[in-house]
Amino acid sequence: MAGKPARTGNAIDQTRRMLSLVTYLRERPGARIADVARAFGISEDELVADLDVLPMCGTSFRGGDLLDIDTDGERIWWHNPAALGEEAAEPLRLAADEATALLVAARAVATLPGLRESDRQALLRATAKVETAAGEAAGASSRLSVTFESEGGVFADVDRAISERRRLWIRYYSPARDEVTEREIDPIRLVSVGHTYVEAWCRRSEARRTFRLDRVAEIKILDAPSAPPEVELRDLSEGLVQPAAEDPEVVVEVGPGGRWVAEYYPHDSADELPDGGLRITLRTPDPASLRRLALRLGRDGRIVSPPELAESARRAAREALAAYDVPAGAVPVP
Amino acid sequence: MAIAKAERLMNLALCLLGARRPLSKRELRESIEAYLEAGSDDSFNRMFERDKDDLRELGLVIETVENLDGEVGYLARRDSNRLPPITLDAEEAAALGLAAKVWQQARLAGAASGALQKLRAAGLPEDVDPYGAHSALEPRIPVHEAAFEPLMLACRDRRPVLFEYRKATAARPEPRHVEPWALECWRGHWYLAGFDRDRGAERVFRLSRITGKVRSRGTGFTAPVPDVVTVRETVASWAGEIADRSALIRLRSGAGYPLRAKAVKVRELGDGWDELEIPYGHGLDAWLVEFGPDVVVLEPAELRADVVDRLRAVAEG
Repeated sequence: MAGKPARTGNAIDQTRRMLSLVTYLRERPGARIADVARAFGISEDELVADLDVLPMCGTSFRGGDLLDIDTDGERIWWHNPAALGEEAAEPLRLAADEATALLVAARAVATLPGLRESDRQALLRATAKVETAAGEAAGASSRLSVTFESEGGVFADVDRAISERRRLWIRYYSPARDEVTEREIDPIRLVSVGHTYVEAWCRRSEARRTFRLDRVAEIKILDAPSAPPEVELRDLSEGLVQPAAEDPEVVVEVGPGGRWVAEYYPHDSADELPDGGLRITLRTPDPASLRRLALRLGRDGRIVSPPELAESARRAAREALAAYDVPAGAVPVP
Repeated sequence: MAIAKAERLMNLALCLLGARRPLSKRELRESIEAYLEAGSDDSFNRMFERDKDDLRELGLVIETVENLDGEVGYLARRDSNRLPPITLDAEEAAALGLAAKVWQQARLAGAASGALQKLRAAGLPEDVDPYGAHSALEPRIPVHEAAFEPLMLACRDRRPVLFEYRKATAARPEPRHVEPWALECWRGHWYLAGFDRDRGAERVFRLSRITGKVRSRGTGFTAPVPDVVTVRETVASWAGEIADRSALIRLRSGAGYPLRAKAVKVRELGDGWDELEIPYGHGLDAWLVEFGPDVVVLEPAELRADVVDRLRAVAEG
């Protein structure tokens, strides 16, 4: 077969799905492919692949009681539902990993500060019912936990603006420039990846921008309707910061104490240095915004290039020192 | 062509679930085409053991019993494998639908959809676009760390582990023997809490600092697992969010919004500067230096000296 070898995980997920599928299909003769795929959260192609396997399965292939399931491309027909005894067709108990995955996620979502109260109540009720049904399998779920961060009031306003399709006015803090600016934005969606962000069309910059909710200093819902241009939603699973190839390159060398930079800044490369430090190459549309980083690093690192960036950090440090009456090179205050 | 693994697992599951009595290995081998094609006894045995483990991972309870002839048989009892009755309304179903989509880690994403599919088969209401109708919330749980999956399994099974860990400021990683208790995600990063065997005390590890493979070491824990594991408090104190003192600074008007947001007191000095009292915890010196000439530390003297020291390092760099 061409392409990648089948991963074991796929066979496990497929088996799990097919076991639920037979229970589900047994109750619904003539179910529509589109409906079943939606109910199972899979593509129609995946469902059709399952339907290719099921006729090879049964309680014993020798007994001639293979499942006689087929499809005309639109509906699914099972011609011998009796081939599967009641026992084999009952909904199966949740596995430990299944209970953990669902319960940990549900508890995390329930902590989202801006979640509507009715939704939170529904989630808490559902969580309690699943815990009961899972029984012992729910036990291990206490060994994983996730907390989303977000600013409650801001979240609620953004959520409301999206559902009512209204424009927002915000005062937004930009750490790169250390300034608070006023903008009108047309919100598109809320995204929680560690922190919570709103993706929006920014009318000031006439571009799509992502705003972190804990950097919103003030927010108002405007009467004006929100009218973001039709834009394709990006897949944010690889991170919110996705530098472009044409962005200028910045090279930073850090000692062991500055290795955290590689954990916090998306970078192209991080090469080990003999002293236990790293040489990190990254790209940013606005290298000046890294002056903060250069200042923060202190003895733990330095900007190698561009030289203007290194010089602007030195200048800022000298200017700051002047206020303490200790010019660079002087003996520090005891 | 070899028979696909999913087909083989499905047949084994259906055989076991459909039988009203224990089935011997021989009977199973004769009932399942893939096993007949397996060739030697050895390769069949290996395949069969793996398949049983896989089905158990999926939640199937398979018992090993002896029949009257003393032959070993396998039994998937109806009582132990049936999902207890559960009734969820449309709102609850929508809420779970949203929750099932948040994992970005393959194993947990698969497990969460698997859970939802089992509930769907048990009658979970459909045709509700989860939250789509009235909210645009898309929470995601990121998992980028390779150490996550082995540690999750070790926490689940209470198995000690050994891994190489590089402390925040250390150049080289060191081996750590840990009895893993719990994993917690905070601000998008994963942390492990557990008992560090070499140090004889509880420690918190950041997963992104684990290098190389996580290996299992021995069986069983030697230290008791606390009822409540507090990862977040430990990490918050690393991040300087637990402040027991306060500092006095001058801040240029209009600058340093995050410092203002944390300030306990703000006084306008009227000369283009404001005076702020802010909480003083671990790491404040590094943070203040980021604001360059827009911040001047007034007191305490210790913080002032730390900031001056950092600025000098940059000025001379």
